[in-house]
Amino acid sequence: MTKICLPGMLTGFCLVFALPAMVLSGEPTEQVKKTTEKILAIVQDPALKAADKDSERQRQMRTVVDERFDWAAMARSAVGNNWRNLSEAQHAEFTGCFSELIANNYLSKVDSYTGEKILYKGDKLTGAFGIVDVVIVTLRGTDIPVSYRVQKKNSEWLVYDVSIEGVSLVNNYRSQIATILNNSSYETLIARIKEKSAASRPAPRGAGKSPSATEQKPKEEAL
Amino acid sequence: MKTVLSMGVIIILGCAGCRSPRMDAGQGGDAATTREVPGPPDGQELPGIGDAPDVVPADQSIAVQDPLEPVNRAFFLFNDKLYFWVLKPVSKGYARAVPQQARLGVKNFFSNIAMPARFVNCALQAQFQGAWVELERFAINTTIGMAGFCDPAKNKWNLSKRDEDLGQTLGWYGIGPSMYIDFPILGPTCARDTVGFLGDRFLDPINYLVPKTLGNAGVKSFDTINGASLRPGEYEEFKRTAIDPYSALRDAYYQYRRQLIKNEAKKDESPAGAMPEK
Repeated sequence: MTKICLPGMLTGFCLVFALPAMVLSGEPTEQVKKTTEKILAIVQDPALKAADKDSERQRQMRTVVDERFDWAAMARSAVGNNWRNLSEAQHAEFTGCFSELIANNYLSKVDSYTGEKILYKGDKLTGAFGIVDVVIVTLRGTDIPVSYRVQKKNSEWLVYDVSIEGVSLVNNYRSQIATILNNSSYETLIARIKEKSAASRPAPRGAGKSPSATEQKPKEEAL
Repeated sequence: MKTVLSMGVIIILGCAGCRSPRMDAGQGGDAATTREVPGPPDGQELPGIGDAPDVVPADQSIAVQDPLEPVNRAFFLFNDKLYFWVLKPVSKGYARAVPQQARLGVKNFFSNIAMPARFVNCALQAQFQGAWVELERFAINTTIGMAGFCDPAKNKWNLSKRDEDLGQTLGWYGIGPSMYIDFPILGPTCARDTVGFLGDRFLDPINYLVPKTLGNAGVKSFDTINGASLRPGEYEEFKRTAIDPYSALRDAYYQYRRQLIKNEAKKDESPAGAMPEK
């Protein structure tokens, strides 16, 4: 009796539990997942591991990131209300610098990937907008919930915000940018962003093993 | 982000609770939370604004009340130096002397012993499943988990910690975060969470087991150093990515607390509440 039932039960079990999962992870999750996998493949590509391949590896990763991230939307959203006070040229300049900063931060983080588990928890959609939920399990076993906010443009779901443990990147930068614009000027803001994005460039990898990126930076910097 | 927050909060060397003073930019009657509604600039709509409020809260800026900003900035600087000059070297040396597994055990131990505050605050927020989970976790971890040094409740029974505190409870009842405060040593918090933090101290067994100020501060410092040793480089990374670290930390604190109040409340409602999903 049990011999017959067990396979049946297992199949039923699988169906019940697999089905919601299939429904949940729709197109946005698939696309975010594809991008993540592409980047991790580059990070782990043995051909690109050597120290002299640093710039080539980063260039390739940047290309993949650029395809998924909607820099223009991120930049506009991070500036918020002040956007309309800036000129066209400033819009372009800011978008360039800001995307460089975000991309550098992101890439230097990904570049030190050491096999953390990435779990895709599915997505929620409302019209052309959605949230893709991901959990990163660190090597110490801590779960870090990450959400990508995506907007559909043509057939692609583009990321326009990332939040980690509930803290949205764009909102966080918006409050920093507002503080800087209030206290000083647009020029200061750009200078600050350029300085930070230079400091955030992925650290060169030594022969194989690299000390964590932060270790190589000056220990202390001015506030 | 907890990490980043803890960064600021890490800096708890002192006498108060081993848990960060918490607060969130609460839901509900938040005097301090306003919604910034930038009109569509250049005739283009900003992504998400008004389109899908549930899915796209990217436009919800938290307008923070920070009347103490000059003082807060001074203390932020103080905490920053405290981290680089004291906490970092000390926790580094400690990490070299004590294996990571042991340090994780110490972290679990302190977390386990702080159960009463989580239990009571779950109950106060009518999260009875959560309160029950906390009791189960305490029973399992204190016995099978060797006095709390291990966490079989999570690893074997899939019972995750319910991180509730009085600041969140107050937020759950609709009290807004009110003004931002960056305490020296204790790090970022807000008026509401300061009240919560003080209240939670009454539920912290360490304050009864080690009531003398000096001993108490010693135990709390140890917890802090142990915690910092498990998150090396985190604060540095936070500072490296922030273009204005002071306001970055302030905003992150408010966002993080708001999320905590919203999400933990949801956990009980979902059918998976009793059995945290894996």
